[in-house]
Amino acid sequence: MSIKKFIASVIESLKLDGFEKSGKKKSIKRLLEKLELRKEILNNTYKKKLNKKEKKELKEELAIITLQIKKGNKILDELNAQNSKNNQTKKEI
Amino acid sequence: MLISNSYKSFFAPIIILLLLIALFLLGLYPDISMILGGIALFLIGMEYMEGGFKAFSGGLLEKVLEKSTNNTPKAITTGFIATAIVQSSSLISIIVISFLSAELITLTSAVGVVFGSNIGTTATAWLVSVFGLKIKISVYAMPMIVLGIFIPLFLKSNSWKGVASIFIGLGVIFLGIGYMKEGFETLKDGIDLAQYAMAGYAGIFVYVLVGSIATVVIQSSSATMAIIITALATGQIDYANALALAIGANVGTTVTAVLGALKSNENGKRLAVAHFIFNIVTGLIAIVFIYQLAELVDYLAVIVGIGIENYTMKLALFHTIFNLIGVLTVSPFITILVKYLNTIFIPKGIYKGKPKYLDKTALILPSTALSTIIMETKHLYENAFDIITHGLNLKKKNVLSSMDLDEVIKDLHERKTIDIDQFYNHWIKNIYGEIIDFSTKAQVNMSSEYIEELYKLKLANRDIVDAVKGTKHLQKNMIKYTSSQNEHIKAQYDDIRKGLAELLRTIHTIANTDEEDVIVLLLSKAKIHAQRYDIITNGTLDKLIRKGLISNQMATSLMNDSNYAHRISKNLIAMAEILFIDIKSDLKKLNEDLSMNEEEVNLLIKEQK
Repeated sequence: MSIKKFIASVIESLKLDGFEKSGKKKSIKRLLEKLELRKEILNNTYKKKLNKKEKKELKEELAIITLQIKKGNKILDELNAQNSKNNQTKKEI
Repeated sequence: MLISNSYKSFFAPIIILLLLIALFLLGLYPDISMILGGIALFLIGMEYMEGGFKAFSGGLLEKVLEKSTNNTPKAITTGFIATAIVQSSSLISIIVISFLSAELITLTSAVGVVFGSNIGTTATAWLVSVFGLKIKISVYAMPMIVLGIFIPLFLKSNSWKGVASIFIGLGVIFLGIGYMKEGFETLKDGIDLAQYAMAGYAGIFVYVLVGSIATVVIQSSSATMAIIITALATGQIDYANALALAIGANVGTTVTAVLGALKSNENGKRLAVAHFIFNIVTGLIAIVFIYQLAELVDYLAVIVGIGIENYTMKLALFHTIFNLIGVLTVSPFITILVKYLNTIFIPKGIYKGKPKYLDKTALILPSTALSTIIMETKHLYENAFDIITHGLNLKKKNVLSSMDLDEVIKDLHERKTIDIDQFYNHWIKNIYGEIIDFSTKAQVNMSSEYIEELYKLKLANRDIVDAVKGTKHLQKNMIKYTSSQNEHIKAQYDDIRKGLAELLRTIHTIANTDEEDVIVLLLSKAKIHAQRYDIITNGTLDKLIRKGLISNQMATSLMNDSNYAHRISKNLIAMAEILFIDIKSDLKKLNEDLSMNEEEVNLLIKEQK
């Protein structure tokens, strides 16, 4: 058995193959939490009296954050879907 | 490989010299010739083993060292285990120096690893006394060597080649020990070195000196220990004198470390001083308390089951104990020692255009090479930052402050243009060239994963250089129009300056924050704001010309310069995405997915309108 094969079998037996994906999932979840919190802060600030320049800046930031949250949720959904698909395949095997 | 090269330059002349003397003495003193040949074989074996471990680990060593050195006890333990496995404190020292150069570990941790490494080196004494003298070397050494030669013929991967080198190394070391032992045994029939045994402190000092000189000459305390143990096993030296010789080997190795550090960078020199202080203190303690230590060894030998007459193993135990005591004595003072070390070997006359981090010791491992390139690229960006702000007639301190950007652009740096070419030649060109040269050398030992990272870093470097060059072009009209009587063209050029000042400030914030949401927000914002320079699409230019607010010449200049500003922005954003985000582990996984593309940028701009 070559060392590469040995490492592959260790990864398989220790179920380390999903490690990277779960790491990515964790990262995105954490980021989404932070983005949601920031969105809430921005929304609260938006209700306050602001000058035109500040309002424009805030609006821009809100638009960016909304888009990023949307993108983040999409990535999370994809990762979840991939995960459940993998689990199903394993069960079938 | 660098390590092998540095070793070859160290060991090769000694091995050749030993072999030449062995050949010369072959007729007259075949026993001495055999001992010298054995020492040469031992050194060759060590070199093979070291090379083998390096190829076999393939990055494992660096990962272990990086993650397990975050506090002093861990660093000491890691240094001990790593050296005991690799059988080379020199390899560990060189890795630690490269880690320091790449700022992957602190000086305190590095000192801890070096201390632990001293205990690790005592493993050689155990190896020789437990296995080297007990098994019939010729039976085991040859199959090991043959196996080592045959493995690469069938298994081509680097890891297997590493395994093969370790087999050859161990086989050759055992063979060397065998020859040394045999040489000493036959020598005994002619000359009995034991007759020169000296009792008392005079004997201790003489043999400490002999052990030190032998180590300085052979350049390896492990080899000296092997000689001492084989000589002791054959009764050529007295046990008490062997203890003194072992202390001498430890003291002598500091000279080896200091000699090795002469060619090293300041980190290497600082570590050599730490090593020197440690070994001298340990040596002094061992000399002063040699009799008490010998009694302690006798006492412990009974507990661990070493026979009272088994002097070789007792010597190995002594070697371990006094190094352990040294670590326990010196470790509480590591903080003071590091404080002192930080005050010495401060490089004089660092000048901005010289690489700060590129050190060939970092080339030894892919991760340290990559970290070094990241650090140097950041250094290059710092210089570029200065040139760009200067070229845009902005004050660096204002850009980095929270001052309103309208105020930042009003506070001019100076009223005349600066020669960006001159700054480029002095502060950028040399470092950029050195980074590319270093990257090319580093690439040789890298896996595809590392090469991909390296490629990105090369792109980041190119982006920095392009941004500086773009500033040079932009600057030509900048001074002219920012002091123009035409307030419309002046406003346009001030807007370019303001936009770039904002971008530089944004990148500075990104580089200094760990808040992922802030990074994502700022980068997206920067991409949207970079579109302000597209004055044809957004209708600004059309409006200015149609209303006759600027001349045709002004319009052409503005069009070209907006284009330059757009390119500078793109370069700097791309650079920031690689240099400040890609290397932050959490966002690295997400960067490609969350990075806003052009379509999304345009969509947001439309929404805002």
